[in-house]
Amino acid sequence: MIGLWHYLAVAAILFGIGLVGFLTRRNLITMFLCAEMMLQGVAINFLAFARYHGNLEGQVFVLFILAVAACEAGIALALIVVLYRKGKSLDVSVWQNLREVGVPPTIDIEPLPPAPPEAEDPHLAPAGIEPHRREEGAAHA
Amino acid sequence: MTLFGASPTSASTGQLVLAAALAAVGIMLLLPRPRGRSVAAGIAALIAAAAVAGAWIHQAFGEPAVDAIGKFLFIFFSTGAIAFGIVLVVQRNPARGAIAFAFVILSTCGLFLLLAAPFLMAATIIIYAGAIVVTFLFVLMLSAAGGPSDENDRSREPLLGSLAGFAFVGLILFSLSQAYAAATPSPSSAESNDWRRMAPLPTPLITPQEQHDLRRAAEELQKLDDDTFYSKSLTQQERTSTILRIEESLEEPLGLNSAKYETIPRYGSIHRRLAAYRKDRPADDVLRQVEHIRNQCVRTLARFDDAATLNKAEPQLVREESRRLRESLVLLANAGELPARNTANLGLVLYSEHLLSIELAGTLLLVATIGAIAIAHRKAVPR
Repeated sequence: MIGLWHYLAVAAILFGIGLVGFLTRRNLITMFLCAEMMLQGVAINFLAFARYHGNLEGQVFVLFILAVAACEAGIALALIVVLYRKGKSLDVSVWQNLREVGVPPTIDIEPLPPAPPEAEDPHLAPAGIEPHRREEGAAHA
Repeated sequence: MTLFGASPTSASTGQLVLAAALAAVGIMLLLPRPRGRSVAAGIAALIAAAAVAGAWIHQAFGEPAVDAIGKFLFIFFSTGAIAFGIVLVVQRNPARGAIAFAFVILSTCGLFLLLAAPFLMAATIIIYAGAIVVTFLFVLMLSAAGGPSDENDRSREPLLGSLAGFAFVGLILFSLSQAYAAATPSPSSAESNDWRRMAPLPTPLITPQEQHDLRRAAEELQKLDDDTFYSKSLTQQERTSTILRIEESLEEPLGLNSAKYETIPRYGSIHRRLAAYRKDRPADDVLRQVEHIRNQCVRTLARFDDAATLNKAEPQLVREESRRLRESLVLLANAGELPARNTANLGLVLYSEHLLSIELAGTLLLVATIGAIAIAHRKAVPR
């Protein structure tokens, strides 16, 4: 039998992975998805305790988490649209002039790797039998 | 519970630290960077971390192996959730990340189902599937196709970020194991009974063993309902043995014999456990139920004895009493379970106890909708 503690452990790990993603990634949309993953970890916690205590309060909490997550998704995507329109990029570091006073700016030193060469259009290998060409004069006869 | 110095677990704590460090290194190697990203080494480190962490969880929280299918499903879904979560974090392409997130949601929905929340499983799939599709559209609209970019191929502080995250996970797991150890007595201590090792704190209202005993007694009681029980086809001995089996099943959880013969009550395992470790309202309810069933049992079993041995009691009356006793036993056996008909009961709880919160959540949704429109609205530029 899998007990309460196993579920709590999995929820903690899921929350931690989401935390790492939120801290390190720079794409706004990926950060948003990582935050949603942290919410899933919390939901597992609530449901595990609800199961353990045999009442439905935990499930009610998760329902409210769902509602709040929906609000969050709407607002976050609206903000991402506005930021993209102003900064022409999904990178959060574009907005680093909002950082705290005294914190040094992040400057990307390493150059980005070159873009992979664009794949050529495929060539069709000739197949089948070449049709017999008639003589120019014979066609009009 | 004191967090530090609760139990001598230095070896297993070292294991936990090793797992967290390995996971941090693995994620750091996998996070997108212009140079020095090593997928093979990162995956190897993550697999090693998973092995160490799995061994640690197995050792720290024990494994009462009863339910093989449940265990397999749990491992399947939790591995899926964690693996796809890691893919989401380290994936360069945000569109693929969105797909990985969809699989994380599906896996956690499997865990929801295992936790007896079918309504929430369906709701989560519906809501998040919609949200994921929308996010996916955003990714496709906004991400410039082709070519490396700052936001996808660089990470902020990969080393510090993953160290911080996994230090956090390690601390949570450590405190969980400390709480578990504090709640579970060591096998050598005199206090340790089987139910306490099987069911650590917070102790459940009814343990699986007690549930089993109660249900078996209820099944035997069913026989008393049958007409053949009162006919001549059963010998007196067979009837008495049925009643003896009922008494035996109820002896351990309820302490039935003491209720029958002793003036000072000696209670069964449910009462001893709950009186010692639980103070809340559901536990009080269960204690009251136990008390009631004990009295009911003594009365009813005496009548059964009459019916079985003297052939003088009227079957109708006995049947009525046995039905009532059976109902109370089944109710007690299921005291610690979530109610069946999850959706109906969830709706009942929502509309009876949490109506105000629902209204507030609805208002929040409305405000969020208005806010999203207000934020994303493109203002007309005056010329």
